[in-house]
Amino acid sequence: MVKHSAILTLFFSFALSLSVQAGVKVDEAAPDFELVNEAGKTVKLSDYQGKYVVLEWTNHLCPYVKKHYESGNMPNLQSKYTDKDVVWLQVISSAEGKQGYVEAEEAVALNKERQAAPSHVLFDPEGDVGKLYGAKTTPHMYIINPEGELKYAGAIDSIKSADPADIEKATNYVDTGLTSLMAGGEVENKLTPPYGCSVKYKS
Amino acid sequence: MNLASANTSATGPHIEVSIHSENQSWQPGSEQWIGILLEPEDEWHTYWQNPGDSGEAPTINWSSDAELQFGHIQWPIPKAIPVAHLVNYGYEGANLLMVPVQVPENLNQDNITIDASLSWLVCKEDCIPGWADLSLTLPVQQQSQPSTSKPLFDDQRQSLPQSQALEGKYEITEEHISIAFTAPVASNWTVFPIRSDVIQHNQIQQAIADGTQFTSVIPLSDYFVKSDDALQFLVSDGETGYYLTTQANSMVPATIETSETSSLWLLVVMAFVGGLILNIMPCVLPVLSFKALSLSEQTMSLSKKLGYLIGVLFSFNVFAVLIIALKESGNAVGWGFHMQEPAVIVALCFLFVYITLTLLDIGPTGAKFAGVGQSLIKGDSFISQFFTGVLAAIVASPCTAPFMAAALGVALLSDNISAFVIFNALAIGFALPMTLLIVSKTFRNRLPKPGPWMNTFKVFLAFPMLATVVWLVWVFLGQSNGSAQFVLMMALLLFALLLWIASVSRGWWQNVMQVSALGFVVFATYISASVTPNDNATDNTASFEQAYSPAALAELKQNNQVVLVNMTADWCITCKVNEQVAFADQQVQSVLQSSTVNYMVGDWTNKNTEILEFLQQYQRSGVPLYVIYAGDSYEQVLPQILTADIVIEAINQAKKEINHG
Repeated sequence: MVKHSAILTLFFSFALSLSVQAGVKVDEAAPDFELVNEAGKTVKLSDYQGKYVVLEWTNHLCPYVKKHYESGNMPNLQSKYTDKDVVWLQVISSAEGKQGYVEAEEAVALNKERQAAPSHVLFDPEGDVGKLYGAKTTPHMYIINPEGELKYAGAIDSIKSADPADIEKATNYVDTGLTSLMAGGEVENKLTPPYGCSVKYKS
Repeated sequence: MNLASANTSATGPHIEVSIHSENQSWQPGSEQWIGILLEPEDEWHTYWQNPGDSGEAPTINWSSDAELQFGHIQWPIPKAIPVAHLVNYGYEGANLLMVPVQVPENLNQDNITIDASLSWLVCKEDCIPGWADLSLTLPVQQQSQPSTSKPLFDDQRQSLPQSQALEGKYEITEEHISIAFTAPVASNWTVFPIRSDVIQHNQIQQAIADGTQFTSVIPLSDYFVKSDDALQFLVSDGETGYYLTTQANSMVPATIETSETSSLWLLVVMAFVGGLILNIMPCVLPVLSFKALSLSEQTMSLSKKLGYLIGVLFSFNVFAVLIIALKESGNAVGWGFHMQEPAVIVALCFLFVYITLTLLDIGPTGAKFAGVGQSLIKGDSFISQFFTGVLAAIVASPCTAPFMAAALGVALLSDNISAFVIFNALAIGFALPMTLLIVSKTFRNRLPKPGPWMNTFKVFLAFPMLATVVWLVWVFLGQSNGSAQFVLMMALLLFALLLWIASVSRGWWQNVMQVSALGFVVFATYISASVTPNDNATDNTASFEQAYSPAALAELKQNNQVVLVNMTADWCITCKVNEQVAFADQQVQSVLQSSTVNYMVGDWTNKNTEILEFLQQYQRSGVPLYVIYAGDSYEQVLPQILTADIVIEAINQAKKEINHG
């Protein structure tokens, strides 16, 4: 089976378990989690069974997040869908001392200033929920349906850039995804590579 | 952050950018090089065309007041830059993004102005995007003069990938992609995908090098969508780099067309033509030429005339029955299976040496044992014609004519009736030329007239016979070893010597010689049955593994045994990786060799229904597939990418199950 003459070199040892990869899979149950919100209350994903839930990983100092907030793109989306009874959860996984880390008060002020309208801001400084969902970048978007199944994970839109001028040209995956789901359809691209800044995890 | 200046350089946070031309003046009708130099601060980096997990490649939009054609960016070889838990591909330190420019012939202006609208992202852990408009004006002259930036271009060319493009294959398993290619030199290659959604950038690339043959196994990106598209990579060892285009490895076994009724006719024709061609193969031609030339003019009865044809048909049908019987009993046989038997090879060696001697007139004539053979094939009786046919079929057996392999391959795979039809078509094709000569005077008259030249020709014919012996002795080496081959050649030489002595002797002495010669044949054939195979023999299957068969597996399971089934194929990259890594491990080898573990290998290199059925039981359409059983009650499917630990752990688990059960 093994060639006797072959000079065989194994350059790397191999580890299967190194992955920080997402444990989540689209079309499967989204794992439940608990985080504290801006009012100091504990929010559980399972509290929102029966509603569409959007998870948005964010970091207000990230240029890609700024692109979507300063242009009004993200606040508009939040208003559009929270009006339709969608639960929009802004998640901040930046660890203390890292870019994007904020206390509750500052988060509220920021959202007010940016006219953002998420249902809750959730703080994940330990990064557990971010890693549970495999959140890689800010923004990194997830859509969960009323049955609790993950229906979309990936980029906010189709053009990978920090230039606000690209927003109009791009297809917004969260918008098209929610529209299609609410009309009883399926999401066209259920899984897209997210783009943006890396999530500033504790480790 | 946003810089809108018509300058040759600009400064953004943590980065300086500038535009450069290799030449300070441009010549109409030439190719020129222009570039954007990105100079991030220490510890900050910019990106390659695929930025990896995060980040963004710089973009350049070119425009000019002249009709210039701008080529693509020549990306320098990137580095994998770990940032927290992610991996990016890019450049730490200054990097020049070079672009070739075609300057038109009919340029009617004194100066050319080139504008570059640039965007970039510069990152440490945090990232800062930037934009700038850079501009450069160059005089048009009949001669291009190097600019002060020329050394920048010369330096950067050193770190561009080589122009030689490599080709390879990729294979997708459940969670991994295996990429295999032959590199120009052996090195430790890192794979950089051009697309961002192929591999998990932050995972270890498992590399297996076998000389310049390189295979890399990398966890597959969550965003990868399987298709048959070619995938592009850059491979680099940190010094040099090559672009690599890989095609999807077709995970389908080689299919031999099974015989539909329509194609059966084609195969019959092929077998017939193959049979005709067999007549002129070196092993057959001398025997038949000799026979043809010695055909007597006297008229024969029809039965005698057809003796040869019947002899050939008889031999081929015996052969077909033998093969089908072996196949039915579950043996994997092919045409030429008898050639895998050293004893058969040795016996054929002696036969061909004997024919050679006869052709050289050295062989004993008219003597007892040899005379029997002689009288059987010489002369015009039915029996002699019949045995000429049998002898022709035997001497033909080592020579596989080109058309025969495919036709007989199918004959062996198809139903028994088709097999017989194909074998008989072959036999008729083979027997036809000689039968025509025997039956028809017209054909016989076309033969050259007998005369003294026949003796010369006969001696010449001895040489193709010897060539066949040489080939057979070489085949024998593959099945035995150097000393056994030497013994065989000595035996052949002494056999020839004894027959020669017999031919020049008289009385009892002649008999002694002949009996001794025969003794050699029997002795050599006998000992060759027990020769030990050469280490370099092509068949290097480890002795502790057995070929997969559903019946054997069922029996082992019933007997409460631990069985590891490995479904593999020669064309399967991942299978080879596992065999070179996990199965080659000393510990795994010793576990598999132990008497408590049965190791079964199914080779799916060629189409095999039993293996396909096994794969389908596990909802698989291809290999690799590893399943471990502990008796009838326990089974575990192992991952498609194995490590020694996974195999050993799974075997230990199975052993535990046996003990508990």
